[in-house]
This record gives sequence, C-alpha cells and structure tokens, in this order.
Amino acid sequence: MRNSKNEAFETIYRQHHPMVLQMCLGFVRGDKDTASDLSQEIFISVWNNLDKFRGASSYKTWIYRITVNTCLHYVKKDKKVRRLSSSEIENQTSIIDTEKTINDNIPKLYNAIGQLKRIDRLLIMMVLENQDYDSIAEVIGINPVNVRVKIHRIKKRLEKILKNNKDE
Amino acid sequence: MSSDFKELQSKWESTKKNSELSTTNFDDLYKKIKIKEKENVFFYYSTIIILLVTLIVISIFFYYVAPVKEMLSRIGAGLMILGLVFRIVIEIRSIHKAKQINILETTLKTADNAIKFHQFRKTIHQVIAPIIIGLYTIGFYMITPEFSLYMKFWNVVLIDISYVVIGLILFFIIRKGVKKEMQKLTDIVKLKNEITD
Repeated sequence: MRNSKNEAFETIYRQHHPMVLQMCLGFVRGDKDTASDLSQEIFISVWNNLDKFRGASSYKTWIYRITVNTCLHYVKKDKKVRRLSSSEIENQTSIIDTEKTINDNIPKLYNAIGQLKRIDRLLIMMVLENQDYDSIAEVIGINPVNVRVKIHRIKKRLEKILKNNKDE
Repeated sequence: MSSDFKELQSKWESTKKNSELSTTNFDDLYKKIKIKEKENVFFYYSTIIILLVTLIVISIFFYYVAPVKEMLSRIGAGLMILGLVFRIVIEIRSIHKAKQINILETTLKTADNAIKFHQFRKTIHQVIAPIIIGLYTIGFYMITPEFSLYMKFWNVVLIDISYVVIGLILFFIIRKGVKKEMQKLTDIVKLKNEITD
C-alpha cells in the first residue's frame, strides 16, 4: 500500500533522478557503477530526510545540498566478490538496467569535469543545470559574489582542459 | 568562452534527456533502503554492543566465576571494568558527534561538522584509547599475582604473553585508525579551504 511519503518520494525521484545521476557521473569521471552507488546513497538520504523538509528552500535546492554533501563525503566501497542469490541478481539487474540507458556519447565532458577540484566539479555542474548564483550560494553556504568569482575561474580552467583535450 | 559554455550546456542537457528513466522498480529501491537502515544501525551500534557484552562477561567473571579477594586484585578488576565503561561512554559521544554531520546543511557547515567529528576521533585514537588500554593493562597485571596462586605457573606466563600479543595487535589497529582519521581530516580541511578560497 502506498502512503503519502512513498508518493512524494517517487515524484521527487522521477523528477530529479536524471539530474542527480548525471551530477554523480560528472563527479566520478563517468564511472557508472560508482555513480549508480552514489545516486542510490543520495536517494536513500532523500527518503530518510523527507519528513524533515520544511519548504524553506525548493525541493531542487534541498536535493542539491544532499547531492553535493553526499558526493564530497562519499567513500568508495570495496567491492567484495560474493555469490549473489537469484533474487538479488534480479533486483540488481532491474536497477542497473535503468542506469544503462545513459548516453555514452560524451564521456569527454565527464572526463574534463573530472579534472577539476571536487568542489569545482559540483559547482560547474550546478551552473550546467542552470542554477543561479543565489541558489548555488544557498547550497554551498558562501556569498553569491564569491560564487560568481569561483564560477568564472572554474569556467576558465574548464576551457583550458577542453582545449588541451582537443589538442591531444 | 561564452559560446563554448553554451555548447557544453546543450550537450549536458541532451545527455540528461537520454538518461531519463523508462521505469523504476520502487519496490527494489525500498528493499535497498531497508537494508541500508539495518546497516546504519549495525554501523553505529555494533562497537557498543561488543563492548557491552565484554563488560557484562568480565563483570560476571569477577563476580561469580573468579571473585578476587585481595585489595590489589580488586582495584585491578575495577580498573579493567572502568576502562571499558569509559570506552562505551566515548563511543556513545562519538555517535552523537557523527549524527551532527547533517547533509541537509550547507556544504561549508557540513565540512565544519565533519572536521569537528574527525578531530574528536583523532583525539580518541591518540589520547583516550591509549589511556583506556593503559588502565586495562595495569588492571590486568594487578590481578595476575592473585591468579598465580590458583593457576599453574606456565598458564599465568601464557596469559601474560598472550596479553602482550593482543596489546601489539591493538597498537597496530590504533595506528591504522589514527592514520585513516588523519587522512580524512586532511581531506576535509583541504575541501573547506577550497570552498572558502
């Protein structure tokens, strides 16, 4: 039976999962398994904190905070090789299948973003997501003017990386 | 740069559209959430449970199995139990500090809280843990003379040697913990500097 929490969560998931997954991919230089793990961690946090959402900011800003903090504090798990049961395999497959629809056309973009500092990757991805400086400042906790200065520097750095990558 | 960035932005958008989900099996996701909740409880409370069980076993041992009679031994048993109680209190405090790292806060605030937590953990590993082990060790060797009255000499020697071995293992575990904590702390301080830079 679906309750209102499930409904709210599923709506948020459908609306924001592509953005979250893509930010994770950009953060981990296109490593799909890690990005999938990360996005899962993020939505588990969304579920666990859904009752705490007070509407002081938009859902999007709220999810950005969870995404940025989870990415920055994520510790990659050691993949332990163990035999999975058939039901586990089924569960894994259905989740991984959804992730496999990701377009592989622009790994170069993830690679370029991945060459930036960790916080810079997330900042530039929020800009790519059309977030304004005020909402980025709200997520990071610094002044919007500082955000503007940072973004300017990051864009220059990214331009240099992309130029170098093209020359290679 | 501006046109290049617009191009980048359109690539970004097109990739995202392609990654939109056709169907999501929420039942699987909820199962994973349940598993994660259990893992979190285990992660937070497993050490406390182990320490509590050890405390109960040691207390029962000294009360029912081998009630020591000499004052020196009683003080020793007290030090061992006190060390464990102190360790449990520290672990509870550590969980409280860990829970203060709230990912709903801003990145800067979260980094600050994470720094406080890892500094606390560093202090535990560098100062508190050696004190607790010291208390426990002193207590252990204070009991040994009375135990030697009831046990064969070689058994006492064996117990004493095995304690040194356990002590060495603990030393390396603590050293590893300190290194890990220092690395995390350095990483987060670096991150904070990058945010405020």
